[in-house]
Amino acid sequence: MNATDSSVMKQHMGLEKQRRISNNVIHTVLIIISIVWLIPFVCILLQSFRVENTMEVGYVIPHKWGFDNYIYLFDTNKSQFLRWYLNTLIIALFVAVFQTLIVLCMSYTLSRFRFKMRTPLMKMMLVLGLFPGMLTMIILYTVLRDLGLTGEHSVPGLILVYIASSGMGYYVSKGFFDTISRSLDESARIDGANRFKVLYKIILPLSKPIVIYTVLTAFMAPWGDYIFASYIAHSVTVGKNVAVGLSSWINDTDKLRAAHYTHFCAGGVLVALPVAIIFMCLQRYYVEGVTSGAVKG
Amino acid sequence: MASVKLTDVKKIYDNNVVAVHDFNLTIHDKEFVVFVGPSGCGKSTTLRMVAGLEDISSGTVEIDGTVVNDLQPKDRDIAMVFQNYALYPHMTVYDNIAFSLRLKKMPEDEVYAKVTEAAEILGITDYLLRKPRALSGGQRQRVAIGRAMVRNAKVFLMDEPLSNLDAKLRNQMRAEIILLRKRLDTTFIYVTHDQTEAMTLGDRIVIMQDGYIEQVGTPTEVFEMPANVFVAEFIGAPKMNMIPTRLEKDAEGYFVAPYGIKMPIEGEKAEALRAKSCESQDIILGVRPEHIVLTDENAPGSIPCTLEVNEMMGSELHLHVVTEAGDRLIVRVPTLALTNAQRRDMVAGCRLHIAFESKVMHFFGAESHLNLLYEAPAEEKEEALQAPAPQTEIPAPEAETEAPAEPAQDAQPDEGKQD
Repeated sequence: MNATDSSVMKQHMGLEKQRRISNNVIHTVLIIISIVWLIPFVCILLQSFRVENTMEVGYVIPHKWGFDNYIYLFDTNKSQFLRWYLNTLIIALFVAVFQTLIVLCMSYTLSRFRFKMRTPLMKMMLVLGLFPGMLTMIILYTVLRDLGLTGEHSVPGLILVYIASSGMGYYVSKGFFDTISRSLDESARIDGANRFKVLYKIILPLSKPIVIYTVLTAFMAPWGDYIFASYIAHSVTVGKNVAVGLSSWINDTDKLRAAHYTHFCAGGVLVALPVAIIFMCLQRYYVEGVTSGAVKG
Repeated sequence: MASVKLTDVKKIYDNNVVAVHDFNLTIHDKEFVVFVGPSGCGKSTTLRMVAGLEDISSGTVEIDGTVVNDLQPKDRDIAMVFQNYALYPHMTVYDNIAFSLRLKKMPEDEVYAKVTEAAEILGITDYLLRKPRALSGGQRQRVAIGRAMVRNAKVFLMDEPLSNLDAKLRNQMRAEIILLRKRLDTTFIYVTHDQTEAMTLGDRIVIMQDGYIEQVGTPTEVFEMPANVFVAEFIGAPKMNMIPTRLEKDAEGYFVAPYGIKMPIEGEKAEALRAKSCESQDIILGVRPEHIVLTDENAPGSIPCTLEVNEMMGSELHLHVVTEAGDRLIVRVPTLALTNAQRRDMVAGCRLHIAFESKVMHFFGAESHLNLLYEAPAEEKEEALQAPAPQTEIPAPEAETEAPAEPAQDAQPDEGKQD
């Protein structure tokens, strides 16, 4: 080995060491972030199995373990949890179906059709989307109250609220549709398909990731919503969704908090569970959906 | 089977770009017509208007005597093959071919019979259960043709179907399209930028430039009697040599004198010039590379020149020569016409002598760029086919323009509007 080879080898070893140290630092930071991120979830999970009492306590690992908190949630004589859960599920499912239909039709229209005012319409929606939805809360409450869709009838009211602005969320799916060659549409139209058949026989099967992404995001918004739901259901128990219901257990009075803290934790786990399972199953499509359309394929 | 008639068809895009000007053409039943021209000449736009994929700004398109301007593509009874195949990626080859038949609610056993028959003709039976991504370019193109075939449509449209294939496969597929045409025996409209495809496939060729029709004719007609300088240069490879000179008429008859060498015009050309009462005038003399021969220094009509580039094409040589006047010309010489020693001596910088075959020279007006001897076919006249064509630029022989052999895909302003 001559002097040049030896110098190159040293340089290579130096770079290798540098890369190893850098990787170790990055991994350590990521592990710390993960632990910090997971602590609340782990605490809630552990507290949901604590059965020695229902109060908030100063330790994390239960002294006594059991499923009493979960059993309490499913006992309709004692708790309204199932009602809240059902309310949330109905709202989320309705919104997922209708919002997906609206978003996909809107996206397809804006991607494929050329009509007057198309560009101004898109710009207007972009600008409107910049305003926080909370600004509309008061007027929405007034409208829904006049329609009799608040309090105990808040479920249809909330469905209306969530679906109302669906069309605004067309950007990601339009970006995806833009990447699908227009000659596929044209070919299908010559083959005998009308626009609707083109959408559901050609475009949607090619857009699985974006359909799944749209369904998931449409489902997630009402599933975890607290602010609109609490405002529209106000204090009527049967009209609450699960987030508002669970929150009332720990926020309304100290007495309630003491009686329901572990129930709240068990409820939290049950709320997170279906979403976590769905995400784990559809993770691949979800990531594809989020990232597709960013770069034209 | 049907005729297609386009009357005063015009396409103006929203940004006021006129893609097609007053297009008039009648395509007869079972005729194979090729639209050919450089990128952006409007050939694909015209085809798409026939297909119903592009709105018609004015004029009418008739298929089998019915005006189809307002009919959806699916109601026009047409089949189309796209440049990028446009196969449905999520479907198998079988499902791709069966798609249109299923939309017609055809019984599944009939669908099966039709699909397998088409697959057998095209040699893709083994691939019926594959997805398009598992096929080669040639196989995909066959599937696209199969998909169009099974529809038994009145008119078969093909938009640069071979452009995405490599040269070898393109030749093979070209031959297959000729056989397919014989088998289907229907009306074909074929768009290409490749003049070789146009010449080999078409019963008639429509040569377009900047949205205008420059000439309509059989391959022989457009090759032997190009209507203008553009057609003369576009059809034929390598392109026709253009030499600015004068057409003179004296007591003995017509002659041209490029580079000071008098070349009498005899035979049919002379008669045709006489019949048209052509006077002495400035012209552009067109000579195809294969109509220039290598000759001796002392031979009559010999033009001295210097070899600049020698392209060995296998069966022939393409000699790029520069005359003493500085004009660049291309000479096409069969390899067999030269001895090995002569071929070896053909190196850049060597002196050569060339001569033009006067019987096959073309005469274009120096200003108008129109062929002095061209007479539009009767049918073309009836259709007022030739809208006032724009003046083409006077070609500067010394600054050779690029041959339009492989231009990019037709520009489509509509596509540019994608947000």
